Amino acid sequence: MEYVSPEGLRLDGRRPMEMRQIRAEIGAVAKADGSAVFEMGNTKVISAVYGPREVQNWSQQISDKALVRCEYSMANFSTGDRMRKPKGDRRSTEISLVIRQTMEACIMTHLMPRSQIDIFVQVLQADGGTRSACINAATLALADAGIPLQDLVTSCSAGYLNSTPLLDLNYVEDSAGGPDVTVGFLPKLDKVTLLQMDSKLSLDLFENVMQLAIEGCKAVANYIREILLENTKQLEYRRGL
Amino acid sequence: MGLPDASGDLSSEMEVDAFRRLFPLRFYERHLAESIRPDGRPLGRARDTTIALGAVTSADGSALAKIGSTTMLAAVKMEVMTPSMESPDEGCIAIDFHMPPICSPIVRPGRPAEAAPVVSKQLSDTISSGKAAWMAYLDIYCLDADGALFDAALLSAVAALFHLQIPAVSLNDDGKIVVSEEDGGKLEKEPVNKEKRKLTLRSIPFSLTCILHKNYILADPTSEEEAIMETLVTVVLDSSSQLISLYKPGGAVLAYTSAVQDCIALTRQRVRELQKILDEANSGMEVD
Repeated sequence: MEYVSPEGLRLDGRRPMEMRQIRAEIGAVAKADGSAVFEMGNTKVISAVYGPREVQNWSQQISDKALVRCEYSMANFSTGDRMRKPKGDRRSTEISLVIRQTMEACIMTHLMPRSQIDIFVQVLQADGGTRSACINAATLALADAGIPLQDLVTSCSAGYLNSTPLLDLNYVEDSAGGPDVTVGFLPKLDKVTLLQMDSKLSLDLFENVMQLAIEGCKAVANYIREILLENTKQLEYRRGL
Repeated sequence: MGLPDASGDLSSEMEVDAFRRLFPLRFYERHLAESIRPDGRPLGRARDTTIALGAVTSADGSALAKIGSTTMLAAVKMEVMTPSMESPDEGCIAIDFHMPPICSPIVRPGRPAEAAPVVSKQLSDTISSGKAAWMAYLDIYCLDADGALFDAALLSAVAALFHLQIPAVSLNDDGKIVVSEEDGGKLEKEPVNKEKRKLTLRSIPFSLTCILHKNYILADPTSEEEAIMETLVTVVLDSSSQLISLYKPGGAVLAYTSAVQDCIALTRQRVRELQKILDEANSGMEVD
């Protein structure tokens, strides 16, 4: 099947190095300490952060750091065919772990000992790149909750099909069987915190694809920064400053 | 802990918040005596309600309903199934209500909220089945829990069913039903129904939850009000003002007939408001 036409257009009309349209909104869940909705093309994810708060299970308390918990779940209607088991299956457990470890690396947990920070992500619509959308949404929600972070974590995926590196794969491109590289990146510190890949890719090509994903992450970071700046302006305005 | 002075004039913001946390019942009663609630609403008024149809593009019908801060997302997915022997003409609807941990600080992952199966059961009793051998899976996700969960869930479910378009199907050679493509497709298959059609709903249920406290009736409680004053009454009426369901699960306050009738009157008013909001949302969709 042809994923990149001879003119250089992908199935949804994008260029190989073009990301899907991103949209983010802060403060979607009124009850949560911090929340955000993040959309990458048709993939829509909502995330809520509760914390820092008292540890619910006293035996899990850590005396010098905050405990970070994360849960990833997909809505039954998020994928094409209705999913029977939205959480507790292996994929969800794995992604929960990945998101937790990624966010834990950038939260300054030593500032909040003996407390707990809960990050919940719910996928409302899935069209490829859910992992990345979840990490981006979690970053925004943590920023909205006012939790001290070392840097924003942004994430983007890239692949390689029809001898072309492609940025931000959607579901059809992802299920094509080609490699899918997901990168979690700290833009200010210029460090990579998450790197996952499936399928096969030769080493020289891998360097290219990873760089492409990092460029995508930087673009997402710029957008997230704009959103946060806008949000702060709104808060200042409401306070009459 | 010093109480605020008798004139009710609380000098600084800190005192109000502390009083609200430490003596919630007294805080509320001071407001109820003036026939008003802390968020400024009169006792019988519900919060601002909005409905957005078609929130989830991958589902056959969907809606997002918000009552104040309580947010519910409902989506319907259709699947073909073989009808049962006793009722070969009837399809079936399966309703699932989820409360993911994002909706409220008291829901813990791994432990479903207590409210969830109760609301599921209430919804199943209220909504009746559709036509043809279709299996409709209705999933409702609570995205923000701020009181009156059943009302918001029912509203979003009804709006999603309103928005639902049954996809066009055709019978292929093996005798199996296959969803046909939008753009014509192969002509060997005889389409069973030519185009997507909307579901015909007999009568639309709307509901209102009220809280009874002493002799006050508060319509559309927030989660704070629900937590302090525990006696709830939920009335479900349909668009022709016929009573579908009345639900009062115990509680400290015993309701006399007059209180129940007042609740029903409030619900009747609410039904008119909700009907208008649903129609506006629907016509907004059709303009597109």
